[in-house]
Amino acid sequence: MTPISFKGTREGLHITLAPAPWREIMEELARQLNRPGAQSFFRGARVLLETGNRMLGVTELEELIALLAQHQMTLTSVLGETQTQDAFVQLRSAMPPPPENLQAEIESAPEHATEDLSALLIHRTVRSGQLIRHAGTIIVIGDVNPGAEVVAENDVVVWGKLRGVVHAGASGDTRAMVGALFLAPTQLRIGNFIARAPDEKRTQVWTAEIARVRDEQIVVEPWNAV
Amino acid sequence: MTGRVITITSGKGGVGKTTATANIGVALARRGQRVTCLDADIGLRNLDVVMGLENRIVYDLVDVVEGRARLRQALIKDKRLPELTLMPAAQTRDKLAVKEAQMIKLVEDLRKECDFVLIDSPAGIEHGFRNAIAPADEVLIVTTPEVSAVRDADRIIGLVEAAEKPAPRLIINRLRPSMVKRGEMLDTKDVLEVLAVELIGIVPEDEAIITSTNKGQPVAFEDRSPAGAAFTRIAQRILGEDVPFMVFDDTSGLFDKMSKFLKR
Ligand SMILES: Nc1ncnc2c1ncn2[C@@H]1O[C@H](COP(=O)(O)OP(=O)(O)OP(=O)(O)O)[C@@H](O)[C@H]1O
Ligand SMILES: [Mg+2]
Repeated sequence: MTPISFKGTREGLHITLAPAPWREIMEELARQLNRPGAQSFFRGARVLLETGNRMLGVTELEELIALLAQHQMTLTSVLGETQTQDAFVQLRSAMPPPPENLQAEIESAPEHATEDLSALLIHRTVRSGQLIRHAGTIIVIGDVNPGAEVVAENDVVVWGKLRGVVHAGASGDTRAMVGALFLAPTQLRIGNFIARAPDEKRTQVWTAEIARVRDEQIVVEPWNAV
Repeated sequence: MTGRVITITSGKGGVGKTTATANIGVALARRGQRVTCLDADIGLRNLDVVMGLENRIVYDLVDVVEGRARLRQALIKDKRLPELTLMPAAQTRDKLAVKEAQMIKLVEDLRKECDFVLIDSPAGIEHGFRNAIAPADEVLIVTTPEVSAVRDADRIIGLVEAAEKPAPRLIINRLRPSMVKRGEMLDTKDVLEVLAVELIGIVPEDEAIITSTNKGQPVAFEDRSPAGAAFTRIAQRILGEDVPFMVFDDTSGLFDKMSKFLKR
């Protein structure tokens, strides 16, 4: 088993870490990034890091971010344990800005292209203890279970049952929305607004719903009315 | 010959991993399979007690890993079933005594000699859990029908998936039909709806488990008790037999009925 695997997606480069010793992972990553031809291929890429059940601390993440930065790559999303997520959030403020050339490219690109670039597609069940944080829109095809958390700077769309904690517009955008085929989150946040599940269990009906902020509060309406 | 390695784990403690390991081991061995049960709960071993083999332990898993004993010396033969053996955990050692690579090596050696290696995992998501999962070909998750246990099971399933193991299968233990009927306990459908994994068996709450644990005689030695019969059916399903799921009914004990909704 190789300590890391790469997959190119529309959102950027998806790097998955195997449960190998940290040194091996860093060496392999450096080796891969320094391969002839790799420079031009990876340059400017956004990176989605999947850490599996490994817990990364601030030091380890910092080391990884620094290595990526050497190749003009930016870590934008982390999929993994809560502890790793916390480290990522801690570091995020201190992170180097996206490489100049990429920044320019994004700014000059038409609006829809930017949004396209920043959507993260998760095609599985997001389970208890897993946290997905992404700088754009998150689309989940599968359920978001109780105990899981999905945090997006734009919208969150769940093609399945949403029962965990969800936060759309995480950096304050109250125009963000949350949509799900079955919307029963433990807690739902949009920007700084918070709504939580009623304490009594409601009877479960399968209807697609959408939550957004209207007149300073979160309202939920059937999806077809949008 | 290489045996199948099946790890039995849970998130929450005390839900019945050890009970399940011992009984599935017995049920498989009764069907002629050569089975080694491995206690990976270092420092808190009790599979030996449940199997009634405690007084035969001379060497343990840590002795083998650290080269003080050979594999054959540490393996304990069951007193009733010649096909069944136990690799005991160390009781007095720290749970960090064994590394993942050592566990994988140990299991590689064990599987050469048998049809099944069943690993009894410690609770939690720490080192001991990782050690128990690392060598597994297949994983069985045990949960009770309680919200907190199901939540922890979900977490474990996520970790098993992240470790790139095949999708785990689920055992629901200690189901109490009377409570389900009164709407006071999650039923099978509720549990499966959240966890979205394949069910491999439902084991009812059964007093026989407690008496059998005290005697060191797992219930699966006989099919008389409801739990014993349930563990036997799990063993059959592991062997690929298509066994219908039971619907447990409180008033009349048990009655056989195909329940289609359980099969996803
Ligand atoms: N189906 C059942 N009916 C009645 N009692 C049961 C049943 N299953 C397990 N028990 C009891 O529950 C207790 C815990 O079981 P067990 O030791 O197998 O759990 P465990 O998951 O291995 O615990 P630990 O996490 O501490 O290793 C034991 O006392 C056992 O006798
Ligand atoms: Mg146990």
